[in-house]
Amino acid sequence: MTCHDARELFSVLVDEVLGADERGALDAHLETCADCRRELQRFRDTVGLLRAVEPARAPAGFVDRVLEAARPTPWPRRWLRALFLPWPLKLPIEAAAIVLVTVGVVYVFRATPELQRAARLESTKPAVTEAPRAAISEPSSPATPPDRARERQYMEKKIAATPPAARNEAEQRAAGLKDASRDVDKRQDIDKQKEASRPTPRTESQVAGKKVEAPPARAEREAGAAKESARLPAAPAPESRADALQAQRPATGSTAAKSLAPPDVSGGLAVSDRDAALRGLAQLLARLGGVENRRVDGHEGPIIELTIPREAYAEFAGELARLGRWQPTREPAALPAQIRVVLRITR
Amino acid sequence: MEGRIGDDSHLVDRLRQGDPRAFEDLVIAYQHRVFGVALRMLGSRAEAEDLAQEVFVRVHGAIAGFRGDAKLSTWLYTIASRLCLNRLASSDRRMIREGEETLTRLASSHASPAAELERSELEAALHRAIAELPEERRIVVVLRDLEGLSYEEIAAVLELELGTVRSRLHRARMDLREKLERFLP
Repeated sequence: MTCHDARELFSVLVDEVLGADERGALDAHLETCADCRRELQRFRDTVGLLRAVEPARAPAGFVDRVLEAARPTPWPRRWLRALFLPWPLKLPIEAAAIVLVTVGVVYVFRATPELQRAARLESTKPAVTEAPRAAISEPSSPATPPDRARERQYMEKKIAATPPAARNEAEQRAAGLKDASRDVDKRQDIDKQKEASRPTPRTESQVAGKKVEAPPARAEREAGAAKESARLPAAPAPESRADALQAQRPATGSTAAKSLAPPDVSGGLAVSDRDAALRGLAQLLARLGGVENRRVDGHEGPIIELTIPREAYAEFAGELARLGRWQPTREPAALPAQIRVVLRITR
Repeated sequence: MEGRIGDDSHLVDRLRQGDPRAFEDLVIAYQHRVFGVALRMLGSRAEAEDLAQEVFVRVHGAIAGFRGDAKLSTWLYTIASRLCLNRLASSDRRMIREGEETLTRLASSHASPAAELERSELEAALHRAIAELPEERRIVVVLRDLEGLSYEEIAAVLELELGTVRSRLHRARMDLREKLERFLP
């Protein structure tokens, strides 16, 4: 055994885990080697120093702190800790994330016209969807009976207040309006009969005599109207214009109030070719800066309400006379800046 | 009961049965040994306390799964040793930066200012020498000469071959003998 081999066994010798064979060989070497004996003694002393080290002691209160740490934390506190602690690090990061997301959303919204359009449609949706519903609520009255009734009341009051000489004209007009509203009533009756004779399945309430639209038909119409108004929100079809106007009335309060007032000028326009006259009237309005407010199909022909600037009224009246026989029933001398005119076009 | 382990099997039974006092008894019984290993390995009392606390919290969470085929003490030393080595692996640079200050704090387990002053040069040199050992040798010599574990227990705790334990322990002691030369008679 060499000195190197002998010294490799010092640890197991000190710890007394050396096998009997190795122990014999090591003892034989140590007998003859004074250096290794001295070295072994120094090795034993070193181990002796290590084993004499005072054992470490845990600090005071350690057990309590461990028990506290081992106690399960309630989940809200765990959740809050995970979310906010350490707060000097997490709060700024979370605030920055919120700002970043907000900026991102605004940027994407601004950079995407489709989104903006969708948002606009969303915000105007209630007004648009009300139109067909209102139209459905009175499906057989394209004219506006409440307005007509008001106009008739107004005219009757006016007759009562006018001197006898002027009454004839006013009475004629009131009679005309009564006729017109009677026409509307008649049309409602006809529509009711048509409704009743329609081969759609009847509900119990219909059988009981109450007028109720069959749900599928109503749903179809509603869907159709909604589709129509979604496709052409700004330009309703001519035949549904009066309905749409009436439906939109709640949305435009000032216009509604204005249309409830009696017209500034009213009269009849007898024409030979109604379509040609309507075309001519449209061209005339376009040229003079007038606008057609609404149109109602009366018994004798369409009744048109329009607005024309005062400065263009003289020319408008002159041109009306060319389109047909213009018979004003009301044409006061003092006229407002925007004159509201009601025309009854007859043959 | 403090420091020395009495009947571990009874304590294990109580822990498994969910005896609320059993865990407290376990901490009381092993606190100094676990803290001692952490202190000798990490060199900082604050860090050692933090790590020792983590050892017991882990034991508390895993006690139901403790099979009992190893001694309770071996299990505790295993957790403590692994956590120490993991922490050292992740904080090598910090340890080097702390340098001398850390090593001198090692010397006393009751580190009052007066005790610090009275501490012998030998003690300081001893702890400095241990702290300067490579980690894989340091843990073996700490478990053997400071904690008194057998070769077989150390092999189990560190999951090493018995021959590797012998070899590392011998190298560590030879290093220490060199460093402590001038204190030897």
